Amino acid sequence: MRRKINVLLAVLLAFALVLTGCSSSSSSGEESGKVVLKFLHKWPQPEYAPYFEEVVKAFEKENPDIKIKIEAIADEPIKDKLRVILGGNEVPDIMFSWSGEFARKFVRADAALDLTPYLNEDTAWKDSFIPASLQPFTSNEKNYGIPLRFNGKFFVYNKKIFDKYQLQAPTTWDEFIQVLDTLKKGGETPIILGNQSPWAAIHYLTGLNQKMVAQDVRMKDYNPKSGEFTDPGYVKAMEMLADLNKKGYFMKNVNSSSHDMGQQLFAAGKGAIFYVELEEFQTIENNMKGNWGFFPMPSIADGKGSQSFITGAPDGFIVSSKTKHPKEAIKFLKFLTNKDNALKLVKQIGWPSPIDGATNPDTALKEVAEGVDYMKKAEGMAEWLDTDVHAKVADVYLSNIQLLLDGSKSPEEIIKEVQKVAKQVQSEVE
Amino acid sequence: MANNNPVVKTNEIKEIRTGSSKLSLKVKNRIFQTGVLIWFSLFALVIIYPIIWLGLSGLKSNADFFLNTWRLPEEWLWKNYKAAWDAGIGHFFLNSVFITVVSVVTVLLLGSMAAYGLSRFQFKGQNILLVIILSGLMLAPQVSLIPLYKLLQAIGLYNTYWALILPYVAFQLPFSIFLMRSYFLSIPKELEESAIIDGCNSWKVYRHIIVPMGKPIIASCALLTGMNVWNEFMFALVFVEDSALRTIPVGLMNLRSQLNTNFGIQLAGLAISALPMIIAYIVFQKQFVRGLSAGSVKG
Amino acid sequence: MTKTFRNSRTAILFILPALLFILFFVFLPIVLNLYNSLFRWNSFDAGRVFVGLEYYGRLFKDPIFFTALKNNSLYAVISLVFQVGIGLIIAAVLEDKLIRRFQPFFRTVFFIPSVISIAVVGLLWQLLYNPEVGLVNGVLKTLGQSEWALSWLGDSKIAIYAVVAVSQWQYTGYMVMLFLLAMQKIPFEYYEAAMIDGASKIKTFLYITLPQMKEMILVGTVITVIGAFKVFDEVYVMTNGGPGRSTEVLGTMLYRAAFRNDEMGYASTIGTIIFVVTLTLSLIQLKIGKSGQEV
Repeated sequence: MRRKINVLLAVLLAFALVLTGCSSSSSSGEESGKVVLKFLHKWPQPEYAPYFEEVVKAFEKENPDIKIKIEAIADEPIKDKLRVILGGNEVPDIMFSWSGEFARKFVRADAALDLTPYLNEDTAWKDSFIPASLQPFTSNEKNYGIPLRFNGKFFVYNKKIFDKYQLQAPTTWDEFIQVLDTLKKGGETPIILGNQSPWAAIHYLTGLNQKMVAQDVRMKDYNPKSGEFTDPGYVKAMEMLADLNKKGYFMKNVNSSSHDMGQQLFAAGKGAIFYVELEEFQTIENNMKGNWGFFPMPSIADGKGSQSFITGAPDGFIVSSKTKHPKEAIKFLKFLTNKDNALKLVKQIGWPSPIDGATNPDTALKEVAEGVDYMKKAEGMAEWLDTDVHAKVADVYLSNIQLLLDGSKSPEEIIKEVQKVAKQVQSEVE
Repeated sequence: MANNNPVVKTNEIKEIRTGSSKLSLKVKNRIFQTGVLIWFSLFALVIIYPIIWLGLSGLKSNADFFLNTWRLPEEWLWKNYKAAWDAGIGHFFLNSVFITVVSVVTVLLLGSMAAYGLSRFQFKGQNILLVIILSGLMLAPQVSLIPLYKLLQAIGLYNTYWALILPYVAFQLPFSIFLMRSYFLSIPKELEESAIIDGCNSWKVYRHIIVPMGKPIIASCALLTGMNVWNEFMFALVFVEDSALRTIPVGLMNLRSQLNTNFGIQLAGLAISALPMIIAYIVFQKQFVRGLSAGSVKG
Repeated sequence: MTKTFRNSRTAILFILPALLFILFFVFLPIVLNLYNSLFRWNSFDAGRVFVGLEYYGRLFKDPIFFTALKNNSLYAVISLVFQVGIGLIIAAVLEDKLIRRFQPFFRTVFFIPSVISIAVVGLLWQLLYNPEVGLVNGVLKTLGQSEWALSWLGDSKIAIYAVVAVSQWQYTGYMVMLFLLAMQKIPFEYYEAAMIDGASKIKTFLYITLPQMKEMILVGTVITVIGAFKVFDEVYVMTNGGPGRSTEVLGTMLYRAAFRNDEMGYASTIGTIIFVVTLTLSLIQLKIGKSGQEV
């Protein structure tokens, strides 16, 4: 009897071995003797991914002993996936991160490597960045991230429609409302907004909060350790957003269209104004062929915050604290942000680079260069609300902003919830 | 069983003859038939049309999709399908095939063995084992999501094919064991007895009597398990991270944000993943239905 | 009887591999889940803070939890009406002798959606519901019902119904198929007797078909109700719990707590609740199943 059972077990074992054989052959492929770096970025789109593939290829050619494994996860899924991955035992050596609180929470958890020594060691590298692009990646005066792009948020408008009503790009909120009113009366859809993923409306609120609330108060509130959100400016900012919707300036059904779909609608001329990031300018130009202009969020007369901030933030890469090859990882980041590759970034995919001088009218689309100028001249940047406050506070904002826009919650109710969660967060963050 | 006396029940139905003549009955039947056919055809349209729309929209360019949602494609862009396949669907497809095949084979092997042990032997503690295994039926996979995520990391399987296959096997086993066990119980004992007299051991009985006799239920289990594994989404979302390991459902989710500006290719991707199942179903209809009906007979 | 194997060791060897799988991957996680729910921790931080039952207290004060419970229940109720109720009627009509020759076609068509992955169906319906390019509003407008052309997934008051409707679209045909199979097992003599008595179609359905189908109806009910509390894919794909948190179900609430809000402990607490709810429902099922057989 026992012998037969041994046979049975042997069969099972053989079966298991065959299976393992199948899978290991497909997951291996690393040559021995090489340092393998895992590099996670967030642009799998066919328009952008080739840039990274080419840069990696060039890097590997220069450094034959380093191999880079690229992984790309798109914008929306990466917000969850980064957490899933960081909890794993195969953390990428270099990974994408937004700046601000989004990166700082990884710093608090000791998941991000302190890059200050590497930057100080090579001052030429450090000085090649526009200073405002490194700053949002710092925590307690230490650098934790290397910016790849310097992104800003601007309103783009359809020139033909604006000309039809003899409108100019507004510079104050009152002018903005007048423009919207004229468009509305003319039977146009004044603003396109695709808020299926609620960050789209949160980007409005990012600027409104910054313009309505005094800088020091806002900074205190955005810090998880001291957030209260009791300033009346937060409610007012939200009311202004709600008003745009109530007065019918936004297109209908904002919550059921995606931002991508909004871009198609704008390209088809189905609306006059669209709130986009600098990185989208190239796509807009491809679609509109010069029939567009842009302006930053207009200033608000009774706002307590600085009126010459621009909404936007750099995003880039952090290095895992668990990496076995910090030197090689830095080497790659240096390569990625060297002048040639920065120029390539600007030329090939039209993104604004944080490398000083890389984004200029010769290399970039005229509008992109102008946008970067706006950011350089600005007193400061209002970083994305959903990545600049604690994840739980961000979640309250994100999930309620859709309810604000479908009229089922009032600004006061939402801010009350924000205050409650901010308090909870205070007690949890040591 | 439920009713032993339905014949008695029919007595309750008193004579309810309608006074109408045969002719009007015919008219009534006609009306009934037409009404039902219209209703069902509408329902069928509601089901079929979106699927056809999916296939056709996959052939459109972006502008065509936005401006002529309804019409046939202006230009039949078969290259969308190729683009979707190349954008990763092809790879996800192969991953799904591999994971499904390995999971199904393992479930069938371990499940039939366990079902054999639970149905053809009598021993102490048998009922307890049965209860333990069957209560696995009742547990929602969500409960295990986070612990399994940590567990798989701890044993170093996270982000491999095994991170999906092993949990799939574990979650599919209880039901397959349940089905196979009740089927094996109905296999007559005589065959087995004569085999034992001929000197067969338990392994040979399993191999040469139980498995061949149980083929229909094993096929049904294979289909059920295969379908569940092929379509599984939540574990696949969390337990692997490399795009090289993704299965179709999760791959499609990612493709949506990856091809955010090209709806034609997105839809082509959806069509590619839906079609094999639809075709398989239409071809293997009988086996499908038998498997699913076997799957429903619980309790 | 005497000739069957009695060697318990052999039997256990046959059972053991499967048993180990189930114990390790199904049962152990449940215990771990309970343990996990007692700590404040997140996926990327090694530190854990013991909080005891704090999360359980918070859960019962969390309005989103009740939204999720309500949505799961809504799922259950609507699915019962459509999949079990209307599914039963459709099956009965398909079995009618006037319709039977069309049955193969219709049952094949009705069943098709249930073989497609929920993720694919969810992505498809997200586009169909889109107010700009979607078919749903397109059809409504063509029929002259513009006031019904709503923002289906974008309005927090109706989004959950739109999501639940997709499940009905997908699975009603599945239930129809199950009911048909059960109906075809009812001996024809019963119907003959009724026909001789001249019973109407409705009476035949009420007094013959339904009692004979009791068990299958029960099974269908149980599958539907327990399934309603395991919902995750379709909500995650179509709305991810939005707009706001209006379509949140327990499954998506757990996922969001774990991988968006960095609260693994809270997510585990939700996991425990899902465990308790599905277990209770299963036990009720067993109870009803048993008493149903005795009747």
